Amino acid sequence: MCSVAAEITELSGAGIVLGSAGRAMTTFCTSNDTARSLMDIETMVGEGPTVDACASEGAVDEVNLARTHSARWLAYTPLAISAGAVAVFSFPVRIGAVRLGALSLFRSEPGTLSDTQFSDAYLMSSVIGRAILSFQAGAAPGTLTAELEREATFDFSVHQAAGMVAVQGSMSVGDALVALRSHAFAIGSSLSALAIAVVVRDVHFDPVSATWRATRPSES
Amino acid sequence: MARESLLIATIVELADNLVDDFDVIDVLTVLSHRCVDAIDVDAVGIMLASPGGELQFIASSSDSMRVLELFQIQVDEGPCVDCFRDGKAIVNYDLADSYDRWPVFGPRAVAHGFHSVHSLPMRLRGRTIGALNLFRAKLGLLDAEDVALAQGLADVATIAILQHRTSLDAKTLNDQLSYALNSRIIIEQAKGMVSQATNTDMDHAFGRLRLHARNHNLGLTEVANMVVSHALVATDLDASPTPRTK
Repeated sequence: MCSVAAEITELSGAGIVLGSAGRAMTTFCTSNDTARSLMDIETMVGEGPTVDACASEGAVDEVNLARTHSARWLAYTPLAISAGAVAVFSFPVRIGAVRLGALSLFRSEPGTLSDTQFSDAYLMSSVIGRAILSFQAGAAPGTLTAELEREATFDFSVHQAAGMVAVQGSMSVGDALVALRSHAFAIGSSLSALAIAVVVRDVHFDPVSATWRATRPSES
Repeated sequence: MARESLLIATIVELADNLVDDFDVIDVLTVLSHRCVDAIDVDAVGIMLASPGGELQFIASSSDSMRVLELFQIQVDEGPCVDCFRDGKAIVNYDLADSYDRWPVFGPRAVAHGFHSVHSLPMRLRGRTIGALNLFRAKLGLLDAEDVALAQGLADVATIAILQHRTSLDAKTLNDQLSYALNSRIIIEQAKGMVSQATNTDMDHAFGRLRLHARNHNLGLTEVANMVVSHALVATDLDASPTPRTK
């Protein structure tokens, strides 16, 4: 997934981390050794574009790390330069209020991204959000691409259902999204079909037995 | 209210809303409602392009499932998709003649009782970022004045989304679009929580969120975020208007 991100945006490398503000960041994947080193540096020093993006509303970028040596990320900057990054770009990965992590891209030369590169990176970050969800819900290896193509976007019943299941199961909306995704896999349904069943109250999550149940006996 | 005074009241209300820290979804929802009042249409909604170039629903004059469905379909096909792609207005399109052009959208819109559809591009400096969508249940046509007014409101919506940014570089534009679209998702998540916790429908849940935001001088997205992050218990949201103390 990281290689694809780096390839699509035509940059030197990419890394994806999981984490949100106040939680430890873990590296999900990287496209090459430099990207891996950059992610390790941020995890080690606890600052940098990815750390900022995990808590940010929008993209975080530094088009020339050498230029701003003293201004931002004091510990990160010299280490990142010696690892081979000159320009860094990081995009938050989130689904509504659920913060999943960030997608970071780097380049060995200074300079900003083109309009297309920016749009592609934003697009990648939303695809990655759905991919992380599927991964956490235990998607079988090799099924991810087809899965992402099939449900290119979540319709809003998915988000409404996540809110409902969060209350039904006394869990976070993030966990509710994973639970929905995972149950849809289990019953061979699409996520939106399951979400609609939840929204119209045909199906609900029973916290006592931790199972999904038909709400109306006639339809069970 | 006479149309002219309605229009002035709308402009004043929107100007009053477009202050620092305004909530983009709230402003667009108000705008959709005023559009229904000022132009003789029955439902209004706004679709916004994601950074990937796909249209997504952002606000409407009604949160009922029947209206929302018509926006959901338009992720794939419909007047907004065509209007956004061509950057051209679609006006007075008779839905009875639309089945060939929009095989999914057309029949659904007719089934929901609509007679005609209109879609106006949301443009700023040569760039189309979305479309304003108007539905009319009655027979008859919108006149040139109606269309000019709707286009004016579409322009206000564009300004609200891009939030008086002077520069419109790719990063700023994408940040603003992503922010607005993600705000809508936060609100949908919160609506689900409120709907479940209070055993009410989504329309009512949205009303509770909006009411609470107004009563406490908070942004709609801010209140939704508080509900999702458990900083505010869904059942504790205000259920009736309270006079402002300030």
